Amino acid sequence: MPLLEVRNLTKRFGGLVAVNDVSFSIEPHEIRGLIGPNGSGKSTTMNMLAGLYRPSGGDILYQGKSIVNLQPYRRVWKGIMRTFQIPKLFRDMTVLDNMLVPALATAPQKTPEGFGKILAQTEERLKFSGLDHIQHLQAKQISGGQSMLLQIARGLMANGLNLFLMDEPFAGINQTIKDTIMDAILEMNEKHGITFLIVSHEMPSIRRLCQKISVMHEGSLIAEGNMEEVANNSQVIEAYLGASHDDADH
Amino acid sequence: MEFTHLLQYVLAGLVIGVIYALMAVGITFVHGMMKIVNWSMGEFYMIGGYVQYLVITMVVGPSLWFLGIPVAFCVVFILGMGVQRYLLWPMFVGESERRDEYATIVTIVLMILIRNLAIILGGPYQYSVPDYFPPVEIGPLPISGNRFMAIVGTVVILGLFYFLMKKTWAGRALRGMSQNRVGIQTAGINVRRLDEIAFGIGVGLAATAGALLAPVFLVWAESGSVPTMKGFEIIVIGGLGSIPGSIIAALLLGLIESLGSVFISPAYRDLFGFAFLIVVLIFRPTGLMGEKERLA
Repeated sequence: MPLLEVRNLTKRFGGLVAVNDVSFSIEPHEIRGLIGPNGSGKSTTMNMLAGLYRPSGGDILYQGKSIVNLQPYRRVWKGIMRTFQIPKLFRDMTVLDNMLVPALATAPQKTPEGFGKILAQTEERLKFSGLDHIQHLQAKQISGGQSMLLQIARGLMANGLNLFLMDEPFAGINQTIKDTIMDAILEMNEKHGITFLIVSHEMPSIRRLCQKISVMHEGSLIAEGNMEEVANNSQVIEAYLGASHDDADH
Repeated sequence: MEFTHLLQYVLAGLVIGVIYALMAVGITFVHGMMKIVNWSMGEFYMIGGYVQYLVITMVVGPSLWFLGIPVAFCVVFILGMGVQRYLLWPMFVGESERRDEYATIVTIVLMILIRNLAIILGGPYQYSVPDYFPPVEIGPLPISGNRFMAIVGTVVILGLFYFLMKKTWAGRALRGMSQNRVGIQTAGINVRRLDEIAFGIGVGLAATAGALLAPVFLVWAESGSVPTMKGFEIIVIGGLGSIPGSIIAALLLGLIESLGSVFISPAYRDLFGFAFLIVVLIFRPTGLMGEKERLA
């Protein structure tokens, strides 16, 4: 059974169809890439998966059950986390407090013992992501790359994390932090079995991480397969180049 | 003028400032959390005053006056949660626009409704809560016992509020919501429930201010209108969204009103605050501690 199954998902904003009848599924423990030119509906799809947008049509099945009517926080409790291209941090709170919010929100027991365990886990995750030395700084004081790293580390703090939706995790950050994020994704996937859906324009990162890639263009899913398959797909080439081979030749 | 007299006026100003602070923190808190202005804040202050009056005169007597404070908070907290759930939440459902305009209309209507209900239930009378504390002296300066206890109560409540916000799990969630509503939803927090709690706490603070000041000023259907006006002045002077700014602005406003009344004329007492507001806005348009921008 797929971990996530999207069936005929559609989102309209007035007369604009941002996502049009999109269907795909993701197997457990998979790292899936979702690519496409700007405005192709990737982030809108992510917002519907996270519960921030209500679909105009279609269904989203998670572990075989529809989650389309669940509020965003309920989806987090079920193990679905989402990050954003512009990190949605709590800017006036410390890095440590940013990490604690999802951990405490999803904690099965909010007792002093439970809190002790969460603090220990937070220390471990901060070290894992290389943020331990800045844990007492406010989020607004750290760099853009560190903000992205913090957003991802914060996502890993959710109890029972199972599906991690990442929107442009490599945008605008240096290679060292990109490598740290990629290593973290691979480790969390291999050791903890976490499934990832990654939206990105960074083809080298997608190539390294993802076994399978879905391509969107103008709100529709136009191709699916491994990197070589989608790279040779004529519709994908046309979507990225803006014209067919024939037109391009002229 | 003798130095002792000057000190007395400064103290009187600070007393008023501390008292204003509680109301202003309530307004700032609701605005910071939900990005709306609650125009009915004074009516929750007024309800707090009525509750304190009823508790003291009909239930426990003046010696146990302090019991009225948590009762006022709890009554208004629950009422506030109901208002948020049934009147204000609909504006957050779906992808609605102009939430602030919706909130403005709803809370102004609520203000009129509560005020008129108070007149229907309590009549057009002004109620006087009996004194419950004898005058005290701070050094050489005498101060009314009721005012003194209002200051002590305010400091204790603001201390509890600080502890709640800084040290508890709910406080972290509330601070997170004030800084990023989308981020907090995707961190596993039920914003609907948190909005109810935030609104309940905000109006609860106004109610405790009303209860603490019930023996200082009279209790009647419109007793909340002046504190509300002062509260809005203070949050603009302090900077929208800044709780420390509200406290500093409240103290400054109290001082300016007190000293202005002595050195110029008490007839222009309310004018001094507005003059100060204009001066602050000229030199610091975002208020004393306001943010230049707020990220979504």
